[in-house]
Amino acid sequence: MESRRPEKPKSERNPNVIGASARPIYDKATFVEKIKEMMPASELMSRLKQTFPEGKFMLREFEENNKLFIILDGYVSQVKEGEDVNTNIGMQGPGDFIGLLSFQTGEPVFTSAKASTKVTTLALDHDSFEVFLTRYPDISKTLQGLIFSNLAERYRKVVTLHVEVAELTKQLEAEKNHLKKTIRELERTRNALISQEKMATLGELTAGLAHEINNPASALLRSVDYLSTNLPDLAQKASALPETGLVRFFFETGLKREFAGTAEQRLKMKELAKRYPHLQRSKLRTMAEMGNDVLDRLRPFAQKEEKEEMLQLLLDAYQSGVFMNGIRLSTARIEYLVKSLKSYSRQPGKEPEVADLREGIRETLQILGNRLKDIKVKIDFSEIPLVRCFVGELNQVWTNLIINACDAMNDVGTLYISCGLADDNEHVWFKVADNGPGVPDKIKKRIFDSSFTTKTASQDFGLGIGLAITQSIVEKHHGTIEVHDRQCGGAEFVVTLPADR
Amino acid sequence: MSDIYIICVEDEPQVLDVVIRDLEKLEEVFPIEIAHSADEARQLINEIKEEGNKIGLAICDHIMPGDKGVDLMIEMQKDPFTEHTRKVLLTGQAGLEETIEAVNKAKLNRYIAKPWKPQHILEVAIEELTTYVIDHEKELLPYMSVLDQERLQQAIRNKGYV
Repeated sequence: MESRRPEKPKSERNPNVIGASARPIYDKATFVEKIKEMMPASELMSRLKQTFPEGKFMLREFEENNKLFIILDGYVSQVKEGEDVNTNIGMQGPGDFIGLLSFQTGEPVFTSAKASTKVTTLALDHDSFEVFLTRYPDISKTLQGLIFSNLAERYRKVVTLHVEVAELTKQLEAEKNHLKKTIRELERTRNALISQEKMATLGELTAGLAHEINNPASALLRSVDYLSTNLPDLAQKASALPETGLVRFFFETGLKREFAGTAEQRLKMKELAKRYPHLQRSKLRTMAEMGNDVLDRLRPFAQKEEKEEMLQLLLDAYQSGVFMNGIRLSTARIEYLVKSLKSYSRQPGKEPEVADLREGIRETLQILGNRLKDIKVKIDFSEIPLVRCFVGELNQVWTNLIINACDAMNDVGTLYISCGLADDNEHVWFKVADNGPGVPDKIKKRIFDSSFTTKTASQDFGLGIGLAITQSIVEKHHGTIEVHDRQCGGAEFVVTLPADR
Repeated sequence: MSDIYIICVEDEPQVLDVVIRDLEKLEEVFPIEIAHSADEARQLINEIKEEGNKIGLAICDHIMPGDKGVDLMIEMQKDPFTEHTRKVLLTGQAGLEETIEAVNKAKLNRYIAKPWKPQHILEVAIEELTTYVIDHEKELLPYMSVLDQERLQQAIRNKGYV
């Protein structure tokens, strides 16, 4: 505390205290000099002279005292003995008084006085004090003045001390508040970091989802565009035909279209081009998608150029079926994605719910589908009891573990996810493992620390405190999380949670 | 005369369907071929090369299983056979870094965001193919029917012969 106090001159520090820098009313040095001069000639004074060797106590606290010591030579330290500390009050030198209070009031000694050096004093008891005053009227005036200024000085010290104590208390209070504020700020920073990490994960998820949703959305939009312009035409042309069964057949074939490999299709297209050299490529490509049985029904119209209008009609019917099917698939995709996202990101309620966590993991995998395009996911789920938990929070745990695994494998490899009932029948374990490089032993201990990260500044997503958050969520659910080496290489994270029994 | 191909690389069949449908008009002059992945695209590029034809335009998705679209385009840029192919990235989402890489290393010509507006892919394809034929073909008349006639005429005038 001492060192924190600003170093200021005394007078500046206590502007309200009577001029601490004012010169003493009477000069101590002159007074001492005068006494010393008179001493050899004065029998009284020689008798009153008392010396103390270094280290000797002149006065002990709480003892009776009937002497007033005037220091002539040497220094005396004054000590106040407290319960567990001795406080050094200060040093007294030539011209100062020792025992003034107890001498004047008759009360027990207030502070102990100890000779710091060899000390010479004039020791006056009450009788000799009277004699001294009458015998030496010329210096007794100085003596009285000195006593007065000594008392004034003591009073000043007391006031100064009070002010200092008040200042210190104020400083302490300020520091206490500062600490409180710092703690609050730390708390806020921590929460901000956690939500920032969440936002980063969310950012990564939405970036992936944008692609996942934009694909079916493109197909959807353009298919609808195509159908809006072509269906009226198709209907009109078909209604002119005596029999619409064939149109319907090709439309339905389009609905069931399955995509073959492109190389294979190219080969088929070349064959068709040889067989029907008069047909345009766009027709040939559509035909190349069809099975041979379907092509057989198309043959009568493909062979003759004059039948080409009918061929176009049937191919349009087929194409309409394909687009209709595309709309159905795209809509289902978007619906599924949105549903997964909704249940994935559900806000935690106040009360935990009882859930089958395998669902949450499946949803998480669905949401992360974009990251998992080149990753084989091997799922081995046993029957497990339900767990009382905040599903949304645990989804964050699965997300973090899976994203970590993907990072570790550079997005190419195998992800192993399994779960089961622990031997004690009271816990459920979940394992997320990968066949990446694994976690080095020296990192294992620190991997859940919030200050630990392997991420470098160049990486886009996350703060690298994902595992710390993961751990805090797991602990909130009274569970544990550990990291091991996978037997065949790679890392394995095991989350154990209490089952709801 | 060798054919100038358009190749479309996209892993989603439904998206591929609509891309082809959007480009159908061009097919009387520029044969369209498709691939579902970068690997299939490499095979396709090889076949076109072996048949003595050229590739004028590549429209490519970015996020696909296996190699990404940008990687394929960088590869094409390094191969003299496809160096001058006009390259268009068609994607729902590519990170800024990937896009910058595509522009810098693959000399990406255009970027089309999914979902796109009707006609947009066709307009982009016409513009890019017009640039391609002006830069690399001596005879421009055959392309008048499907490409940007104004630019082609201007180019013919500039070359000083019909």
